[in-house]
Amino acid sequence: MRGLRIYAIAYLVFLYAPIFLLPLFAFNDADIIAFPLSGFTTHWFEELTRNAALQAAVRNSLIIAASTAVLSTILGICAARAATMADWPLKRPMMGLIMLPLVLPEIIVAVSLLVVIVQVFGLGLSNATIIAAHTLICMPFSIAVLNGAFQNLDPALEEAALDLGESRWSAFRLVILPLVMPGIISSLLISFTISLDEFIIAFFLSGANPTMPVYIWGLLRFPGQLPVVMAMGTILVALSIILLTIAELMRRRGLKRAGLKDTGGFL
Amino acid sequence: MPGFFVLLRIVLQGIKPDMLRGRLTESGKRGLVLISPPFAYALLLLAVPLATILLFSFWTQDYLTIDTTFTFSNYTEAFGDPLYMALLRRSLLIAGAVTVVTVLLAFPIAYFVSFHVQPSRKSLWLFLITIPFWTSYLIRVFLWKVILGYNGVLNSSLIGVGLIDEPLSFILYNANAVVITLAHAFAPFAILPIFVALEKIDRSLLEASLDLGETRVTTFLRVTLPLAMPGVVAAVLIVFIPTIGDYVTPRLVGGPDGLMIANMIQTQFLKLNNAPMGATLAILAMLSVTAVSLVFIWLNRRWLRGPK
Amino acid sequence: MTLIQLSGVNKHFGDYHALRDIDLEIQQGEFFSLLGPSGCGKTTLLRTIAGFEDVGSGSIRIDGRDMKGVGPNLRPTNMVFQSYAIFPHLSVAENVGFGLRRADMTRDEKTRAVGEALEMVGLGGYGGRAANALSGGQRQRVALARALILKPKVLLLDEPLSALDKKIREQMQVELIKLQREVGITFILVTHDQEEALVMSDRIAVMFDGGIGQMDDPETLYRRPRSKRVAQFIGMMNFLDGEVAATGTEIEVTVQGLGRCSVAAEQAPGAVAPGPVSIGIRPETLSLLFEGETTTRKEVAAVVDEVVYYGDMTYYDVRVDGIEKPLTLSMKNLIGRPVLDVGTQTRVAWDERSLVLLGH
Repeated sequence: MRGLRIYAIAYLVFLYAPIFLLPLFAFNDADIIAFPLSGFTTHWFEELTRNAALQAAVRNSLIIAASTAVLSTILGICAARAATMADWPLKRPMMGLIMLPLVLPEIIVAVSLLVVIVQVFGLGLSNATIIAAHTLICMPFSIAVLNGAFQNLDPALEEAALDLGESRWSAFRLVILPLVMPGIISSLLISFTISLDEFIIAFFLSGANPTMPVYIWGLLRFPGQLPVVMAMGTILVALSIILLTIAELMRRRGLKRAGLKDTGGFL
Repeated sequence: MPGFFVLLRIVLQGIKPDMLRGRLTESGKRGLVLISPPFAYALLLLAVPLATILLFSFWTQDYLTIDTTFTFSNYTEAFGDPLYMALLRRSLLIAGAVTVVTVLLAFPIAYFVSFHVQPSRKSLWLFLITIPFWTSYLIRVFLWKVILGYNGVLNSSLIGVGLIDEPLSFILYNANAVVITLAHAFAPFAILPIFVALEKIDRSLLEASLDLGETRVTTFLRVTLPLAMPGVVAAVLIVFIPTIGDYVTPRLVGGPDGLMIANMIQTQFLKLNNAPMGATLAILAMLSVTAVSLVFIWLNRRWLRGPK
Repeated sequence: MTLIQLSGVNKHFGDYHALRDIDLEIQQGEFFSLLGPSGCGKTTLLRTIAGFEDVGSGSIRIDGRDMKGVGPNLRPTNMVFQSYAIFPHLSVAENVGFGLRRADMTRDEKTRAVGEALEMVGLGGYGGRAANALSGGQRQRVALARALILKPKVLLLDEPLSALDKKIREQMQVELIKLQREVGITFILVTHDQEEALVMSDRIAVMFDGGIGQMDDPETLYRRPRSKRVAQFIGMMNFLDGEVAATGTEIEVTVQGLGRCSVAAEQAPGAVAPGPVSIGIRPETLSLLFEGETTTRKEVAAVVDEVVYYGDMTYYDVRVDGIEKPLTLSMKNLIGRPVLDVGTQTRVAWDERSLVLLGH
């Protein structure tokens, strides 16, 4: 299937086109983001270290992403573990509601939370509101990742631990937790990445301190700062690739540990 | 399948009569305890807010005061205003076009990776496909603007190789640009479900079909494609639904003709400070997405023998 | 000494009656099997003894102690799971020593105990291996060692051999019997394989639809099944219709195709009333009479209807006047004994002592 292979490679070029441009402009010695390129510079990376507002936004985003990752993974563990249990009344609708954000346009989540927080409760917007909303939309992803980990577990493993004298909690700690650890790390990384990049909800719910995407959005209308954004984007892409590679390696290790064949894929 | 209908459906499906009668098993009890925190979270931060905007859509706002009298006036206004209706129609059209383009482009890739890549290299391909999408969405959309622009990468290179004399202008600041950019943005969301469906196909079924006298092409049409339909349906819904809610891409590359309903929702909430009208538009957007999705699922079941 | 006593145990899953009025006593040191088709409740019964399922009504006593409310971690039972449930993240030695974590032993004592347990199941020197690197048979041995190291009063085995291939399965059957004699622990085995149950057990309970159909030692179970259902499940059996004429220490019965017979009362399921009855006869108790052969047993004329050659044995289906279904019988392929063709006129020798009267 030669034709298909050529198509596949062309498609990869399409997928990677914007990402290839990123470092080009990050090292380009010009104020505007356009061709032709002018020359090589690391000026924008130096500028990056001086831009306090941008740094603040990055720091803010990191705090939000880390909190979101931890929260959504903890809630995700509960839900994924529960999903492996026997039925209880309303199991499906409960799971359905939790997974709903997966198929809900983000703007709906954003405006409905905005209305409740500001109009109904009269609370201010802050990082906490973004964390709350991001946890909501990351939770289904965490559950999807963790479900795989929990469902690959033979239920007899927990029973065997109980049978050998362990309590429910120590069986979880000694047997289940180590086996799902790779899934937990994947879940943390994926939630972290989603939250770090999320714009639509953050735009509606951010308070005085903008997140990184919200800050970038502001810059897009004032192009003077854009090359700095490109520089930062380049760093973030590199960082994402490293994080995702780790996540992928963890996932494979998890499969190996559970003695399973690799079937490929994150989600 | 977004929104209340889904919620209603799963609630109705979830209640099995024997569950309410019979006692909970030990394992069921533990499940219930475990699900409580995430469920309470979703109830508080999703169900309650969704109910609230539904409520808001029946209220009105005059500058800063909210009038809580129950009224359909927002809906009458929305349906009466040609601007809102045009935006909604355009949103559905653009989302539809994005979905068709994305899924059509994605299918051959999913097929290639599933059928023509060695098993040991499949996860590498999937990894390559997913990587670009964990990088900043805003920056990616912006870079498309750079690629598609009047003096952009595409035009410069096409002029450079002498294919065109004048820069193409129909590829930026209109609906085409929105479709291209979103087809890029949603690529993995379309590829992955189709890939998963293709992977599940027992390869001996294809051999059986060839053995029974079908050609490779008719085998694809009669065996592979029908069995891949669940993945295609999932891909369609996963692309279509969030597309309606996007306002970044239309704003950045859509130009005045590329704006969508989400831009208007955003304007109502953040600029015009008219939450009830924004809520109404949000509800309308959600209802139309749900309606289109349900029609699609129904058609698929009816004519393509898709997933039940 | 009675080690395990179940009385009036019932269990429902929703509307499904999984266990019906189970009364059972298992002796110390016994190799006891729960045998039955899938869905008969045998695994559920095992899991109630282990403590993974609670009973709806009735009681389970182990070593005189009521097990109500006692969790599986606190019961003097250990289990070998069908999937073996070998912890994939631990080494073989860590798996075997898993249950010793809370034991009041020094590290050296634990290491020694693990080594001995591995020796016992023939896996000496495998302690450092990763659990994933083991074959099916080895995993099973690890599961055994892991359970036996805790010296339980009862070892529960849930279809432990079903995942192994035929050769290893037969080898493990013998090893399990030896092991059980060696350690003297009560074994309760769940299996759907009648042969396995017959080979290994001291006593077998045959279960159908959540209840116990018959409980006996293997020979009694095979020779004198009490019902048609048990007879069908264990080995091959020809079923004939008959009519009981008179009862007593000898039961007078007319059997279709075979005529009037008298059957010892112990060949019947308890009291038999005059009237129609089902009669069973095993294929190996019938034999073909070859040209010129004579017998002291009774004989009946027959026509060969079907021949299935097994190498060591040949199975014949033969038609006998007055019996609608052909009778199946098996013959050892001794030297000089021909294999008959379909359609051959022949005679079948049979014996009244091999007739069994069956209940329903």
